[in-house]
Amino acid sequence: MGARTSGIRQIGGAPGPRGGWAARKPLVLAAAVVVLALLPLYASDYGISVGILIFLYMSLGQMWNLLAGYSGLVSLGQQAFVGIGGYTLAMVTQAYHMSIALSFFIAAGVSLAFALVISFPIFKMSGVYFTVGTWIVSEALLVFFRNWAFVKYDAGYNITVAYRISMPALYLGALAVGLGATALVYFILRSRMGLALMAIRDDESAAEARGVRLYRTKLACFLISSVYTGITGVVLYLNITYVKPGAAFGIDWTVCMVFIVVIGGLGTIEGPVIGAVIYVILRQYTYNFPGISMIMLGVAAVAIIMLAPEGIMGAVHGRFGFRLFSTERRPPPGTGPRQYPEDAADV
Amino acid sequence: MELFVQTVVSGMLVGGLYAAIGVGLSLVFGIMGLTNIAHGSLMILASFFVMFFSRQVTGGVVTALLLTLAIMALIGALTQGLLINRVLDKGPESALLVTFGLAIIAQNVLQLVFGADYKSISSPFASVNVIDTRWVIVSGEYMVNFLVSVAMLLALHLMIRKTRLGRSIRAAASNVVAAELMGVDTKRAYIYAMCLAMLTGSMGGLLVGQTFGFYSYSGMSYLIIAFGVVVIGGMGSILGTLIGGFILGLAQLLGAYFFGPGVQVLVGYLALLVILALRPRGLLSNMTRK
Repeated sequence: MGARTSGIRQIGGAPGPRGGWAARKPLVLAAAVVVLALLPLYASDYGISVGILIFLYMSLGQMWNLLAGYSGLVSLGQQAFVGIGGYTLAMVTQAYHMSIALSFFIAAGVSLAFALVISFPIFKMSGVYFTVGTWIVSEALLVFFRNWAFVKYDAGYNITVAYRISMPALYLGALAVGLGATALVYFILRSRMGLALMAIRDDESAAEARGVRLYRTKLACFLISSVYTGITGVVLYLNITYVKPGAAFGIDWTVCMVFIVVIGGLGTIEGPVIGAVIYVILRQYTYNFPGISMIMLGVAAVAIIMLAPEGIMGAVHGRFGFRLFSTERRPPPGTGPRQYPEDAADV
Repeated sequence: MELFVQTVVSGMLVGGLYAAIGVGLSLVFGIMGLTNIAHGSLMILASFFVMFFSRQVTGGVVTALLLTLAIMALIGALTQGLLINRVLDKGPESALLVTFGLAIIAQNVLQLVFGADYKSISSPFASVNVIDTRWVIVSGEYMVNFLVSVAMLLALHLMIRKTRLGRSIRAAASNVVAAELMGVDTKRAYIYAMCLAMLTGSMGGLLVGQTFGFYSYSGMSYLIIAFGVVVIGGMGSILGTLIGGFILGLAQLLGAYFFGPGVQVLVGYLALLVILALRPRGLLSNMTRK
């Protein structure tokens, strides 16, 4: 996707013109979270249901972005983990009559195991072969579930326990998943692994030469993304309440993820947030015209790739230099590259 | 034993058709490094065109096909010239996502116009058996599919190898800078390549439409078949595509023979994954792009 600015920005001693905002940012964000968490108190049922969708799709988008935007792993097979999440919920609660809470842990475990197993063949492929390979894996899983007696073949399951969950409770769960995904990606990027990822993104061979372990870093990203997508799948199916192979393992999930991330901005943390809001609202408004919303999304995605390939957030950042979650960091004193005056002025 | 022979023969025949589905994808990848996610959906678009024209406009399949070929070549040229050529320099992912968007647009427009019902194109060969012995029965339809596909692949191969146009396409594929220094307009060569891919895709769309039927969302499942063929044969090799088609067709039908028809598709996918894991760049590919 072309080289972007390096993860390290050279800032001369001064905190920069936005120092006041930097100090107040945690407070503003905390206030925003509280306002969002109290949404069931002042919003209609419809508003809550839209909120649920926004946060769940946000989580899917963040996790796809972690793969495609930061690790260069363009996967078209993440729907496998949505399906695993949904089916784990169905099997744990319907077939074995155990608690919903348990299905989160089992979904995470199954997703981790499945991701680990398929990583052996999948990570041998690179570029488009990886993209195609991931898709074939999840298509194979779809066919497998259709022919698996254990999950009642193609008949699917009604997830009846989900009926007892109130809308506000589900909303809070979705909120936790959506914001959790955003926070997770943020902290990954601020960590040592994030530095490695950005180095890989900017120049893979240079990063490897400087001691970044490519395989391990990419595998870690793939596992995190897969497990979290599986957990999101559980909450998604608490909302949908009916799981069937064709829908659970359908490419449509990945279509959503791709659109959300591409429209919002590939390789930005805010991108999937904005993308999810746009996607869900667009889908709700065009609900009565089936097909139209997908056509509009397709046109929007193509137009954005052609005109503003960095997405909405990339365009905003390019024009105003604004970034809500900056993953850039200052080098520790004395270790960074020599500072030149023009670099400091370039902030 | 009779059933086994029949299975192998059917697998080879279906494999020929699979090669016709995949060759356009292979061509476009080999020449411009683009994974055309819209390949399957555009193929089904051609199926709908043939169906619509033959029923509403011309009355015959042949004239409908000619009309469709012209329209699909135009669509290919426009897509390549206006969209893909402009993002190709920004890296493979941008172009891949553009074609992904195109696929979604194409299948939803088809859904809007033609509804979600299964359609088919009538075939004069459907009810005739050209070979009918104790060992093996081959319907005229499968035989025609196979012969048309193989003829098309050979024609394409000769065209790429022997003609001036083919030479300019190959030049653009092997080294863009050198080709341009020698006076080849590489972007134009890409347009020709996409047109060729659309023409083969239209033929694939016709044959698939006659044999299996289709609906607006069929494109994605045929895209996976095309991927399978191309990945086994190695992206960019036309004769490899034919072998890839045979292997995938045989794997699917032998899978159905040994493990039951329900897992036919699954066996095909697993064969594909195993081959990819062992030879991550395809079975027959020893060339790497650039």
